[in-house]
Amino acid sequence: MLGLLRRDRRWKPEKRPAPVNPARQARLKFRALQGIIILGFLVLAVQLWKLQVVMGDYYRTLADNNRLRLVPVPAPRGVIYDARGNLLVRNIPSFSVAVMPADLPRDRQPEVVRRLARILNMPAAEISQKIDERRRQDPFSPVAIKDNVDQKTAFIVEENHESLPGVQVQVRAIRQYLEGPLMAHILGFIGRIDAEEYAELRPQGYHLNDQLGKQGIEASYERALRGRPGREEVVVDASGRKVEVLQREDPVPGNNLVLSIDLELQRVVYQALKATMGRSDHAAAVVVNPKTGEILAMVAIPDYDNNLFSTGIGTREWEQLLEDPRRPLVNAAIGGAWAPGSTFKLVTGAAGLQEGIVTAGTVIYSPGYIRIQNEVNPAVPFIFRDWAALGALNFRRALAMSSNVYFGCVAGGCPDQRVRGLGIDRLAEYAHRFGFGEKAGIDLPGEVEGTVPSNDWYRRVRGEPAYLGDVYNAGIGQGEVTVTPLQLAMATAAVANGGKLLKPQLVREIKDAEGRTVWRLEPVVRREVGVRPEYLELIRAGMRDGVTSGIVTVVNIPGVAVAGKTGTAEWGPINARRYHGWFTGFAPYDDPEIVVTVFHELSQGGSFTAAPAARQIFEFYFGRKRG
Amino acid sequence: MDLRLLRRFDPWLLAAAVGLLAYGLVMIWSAAASGNTPDDPLESPVARQLLFGLAGLGLFFLACFVDYRLFGHLAETFYAVTIALLALVLLVGDATYGARRWINFGPVPVQPSELAKLTLILTLAKIFTVHQDRIKSFRVFGLSLGAALPFLALVYAQPDLGTDLVLGAVWAGMALMAGVRLRYLLGLGVLGIAAAPLAFRYLLRDYMKERLMVFFNPMLDPLGAGYNVRQSEISVGSGGLLGRGLGQGTQTQLNFLRVQYTDFIFSVIGEELGFVGAMVLFGLFILLLFRGIRAGMLAPDDFGRLVATGIVVQIFVQAFINIGANSRLLPVTGIPLPLISYGGSSLLTTLMSLGLLESIIMRHKRLEFD
Repeated sequence: MLGLLRRDRRWKPEKRPAPVNPARQARLKFRALQGIIILGFLVLAVQLWKLQVVMGDYYRTLADNNRLRLVPVPAPRGVIYDARGNLLVRNIPSFSVAVMPADLPRDRQPEVVRRLARILNMPAAEISQKIDERRRQDPFSPVAIKDNVDQKTAFIVEENHESLPGVQVQVRAIRQYLEGPLMAHILGFIGRIDAEEYAELRPQGYHLNDQLGKQGIEASYERALRGRPGREEVVVDASGRKVEVLQREDPVPGNNLVLSIDLELQRVVYQALKATMGRSDHAAAVVVNPKTGEILAMVAIPDYDNNLFSTGIGTREWEQLLEDPRRPLVNAAIGGAWAPGSTFKLVTGAAGLQEGIVTAGTVIYSPGYIRIQNEVNPAVPFIFRDWAALGALNFRRALAMSSNVYFGCVAGGCPDQRVRGLGIDRLAEYAHRFGFGEKAGIDLPGEVEGTVPSNDWYRRVRGEPAYLGDVYNAGIGQGEVTVTPLQLAMATAAVANGGKLLKPQLVREIKDAEGRTVWRLEPVVRREVGVRPEYLELIRAGMRDGVTSGIVTVVNIPGVAVAGKTGTAEWGPINARRYHGWFTGFAPYDDPEIVVTVFHELSQGGSFTAAPAARQIFEFYFGRKRG
Repeated sequence: MDLRLLRRFDPWLLAAAVGLLAYGLVMIWSAAASGNTPDDPLESPVARQLLFGLAGLGLFFLACFVDYRLFGHLAETFYAVTIALLALVLLVGDATYGARRWINFGPVPVQPSELAKLTLILTLAKIFTVHQDRIKSFRVFGLSLGAALPFLALVYAQPDLGTDLVLGAVWAGMALMAGVRLRYLLGLGVLGIAAAPLAFRYLLRDYMKERLMVFFNPMLDPLGAGYNVRQSEISVGSGGLLGRGLGQGTQTQLNFLRVQYTDFIFSVIGEELGFVGAMVLFGLFILLLFRGIRAGMLAPDDFGRLVATGIVVQIFVQAFINIGANSRLLPVTGIPLPLISYGGSSLLTTLMSLGLLESIIMRHKRLEFD
């Protein structure tokens, strides 16, 4: 460098002697340079020919793959009405922020996630994790980062789309359940499809971001409510934003449901149950039409607010619901089974009559207890108590007064009164005929079967057949027998309607979006119970007597003839003096329109808590009818 | 100012330059059509490029009316200023894409590495001219290399490997033209190849290696480092023979192609104007370069010949590397396509260089006797 600077003072190029033959040499070199330039552009031209002309179509396809996308257009989910046309659930718009991993360049992800975390006010790590997970699964399917963001946030994200590549604001419909807890057990809720469901339902056109019914009617009528999603072929830009719609296949909206539930009645049942359940952990009530099997009201407590699931339930709320020992997500009317107590005498009585164990005129004397030979140790007699010394009773009176001795004898036999007894297996067979020990088949998920013990059952569970004491207990709905409130309601309906065991149904009608009926409820007879009509007539008469002059007089209301049976079943540790309270009955007596079944887990007795609740229900129903 | 000089003015050189400039403006306009238009129309890339183009043409005419030999006198000044700017950019430069390449003087960002190309050409031309009598000596060879090295090092520090490649090519081209012993150059070449593994290990930054890797397989990271390579290839390929039409390229208009005004402007040409459009561009470049070579052939002295050589080599190498990178022939190095890419510094220095060529043509010997 210094050398250069020093020589600079002699810098006079124009006076330098010309080098030896420089022009010719230089000319040659320039020719060579020309050659190199031509060669260079020739190489480039050949490469371009290859890319553009030879492989042009291939790259054209790649360019189209970049910009053209098939996007599913979700179908509006069907809505649900009650029997009188009240809307129970509707769709309302909600904004959610999602990221399509394919549109978010990996090197920009940290920066975009930071920005998004600030806008959405959530941890960046959580956002990154969601994006990374979806990137592995299916980078072309957007993953929801946050649901139910407010309109302002949605607007901010939309405004900044240039600096948020791959981030989309999606408008989606969420479910608004207008009655919340009142209808939660029936309607259920919807939620995001999980991995297992997706694997199963993918062939039916479900997408990774779809919602589907998880509980209740939403789950059992998923197919009807969902409709068929449409598709759009759209042009997107590099950040995944829709620029133009090329083709659209419109979605088919889901069908609407009309329930058999009567919202007004449901509300009354709910209030009656809450008012009478005391300190019970669980309570349930079912009102059913004994002619059709339609459920007019069904309430189970504890309950929950299904709107929580629409607005994106928080982890804490969700854990609270799951960890609550009372299990509020379980519909106690179908998902819990308890000893039915004396309400089970309907079954014992029907079996006794049909099997000729007793007749209408068979009189059994109840001194307040009976003494039974102990099979294991004949020296120690087994004492089976009645609730009072009821004296001499015929069948009808025994039912009206709910004599334990009478129905204990029917089940287990009383040799000193010349009654032979059904035995546990025949009792179990009739219980099955009335629908106990099996799911009633209601159109809701989560039903349980309850327990109807038989000799086989005892052998399986205990290793030996039933003792005589078990048989007496089973005859009056104590011991190992358990039933769901819904099962008892359907059995009562069978008594009321002359022997048809119906399938309980919640949906009266399915209509398409234009209002055309596509399906209408038909009563489904599960079976004839196989008890002669005059015997059922006798049982109904006994139930009616119970209301007019027996132990259920609390439901003896003016203007309508109610027939009913209460039940009080001991439970928990021996001598804890804890009781379940039951009522099951129907009205009007001569042409039954409704069956009402009420259950309280903790009660001083069915007559004291369950029957008064039933009274409010009957009063409302028939009071409204009279206008 | 001798107006007779004007008679020797080469209109073809100017025509090729203006043609390329106009071509670039049309493509920038097309690429910008889909983007957000700024509130101030003067802020739009087309308007800015047009302003720089006009200013560049001003420099062009200024340069052609100044005796090019004056630039020889100014070589040291150029050298000192350029070194200072290159050092400054490392200290206060604006970082984009991980490299410091710009200094902001007011609203105008200046890219000193563009100036470095012209400065190197002038410096080398001067060195080789001054030492023409001992041109075969190793000393002169070493001196020219020593003059180039600070540039190479400072540009490498930005880091800007593409510009280093251009500077290296310019030095080699000018050395060959000046008549440096071929042996030395070949020796250096062999040394370079032998040191390549070491260079890969110690000289290449991670991003450079990444670019090399994705050049061989863009699908290694199609949404990351390989994205631009992949998208530019798709853009060029999808253009076909005649192109998708101005403003109709989906890759460009929907922004799948990034940095489309600058490093990847050729992909826009390829997509929207196709193979035919590319050949028109090649024609303009060949015309420009051949008129430049003509200037070298007509040059009345070594200095002019060497300056012309440097400028021609620089423009050619830049065009080749840029178009090669746009068509999957070379890895991406991020250098502008002369006269076409958006960017003031490149446009101004290139047009000034072309003005120098005019100046050489206008003062060639034979016509002095007219």
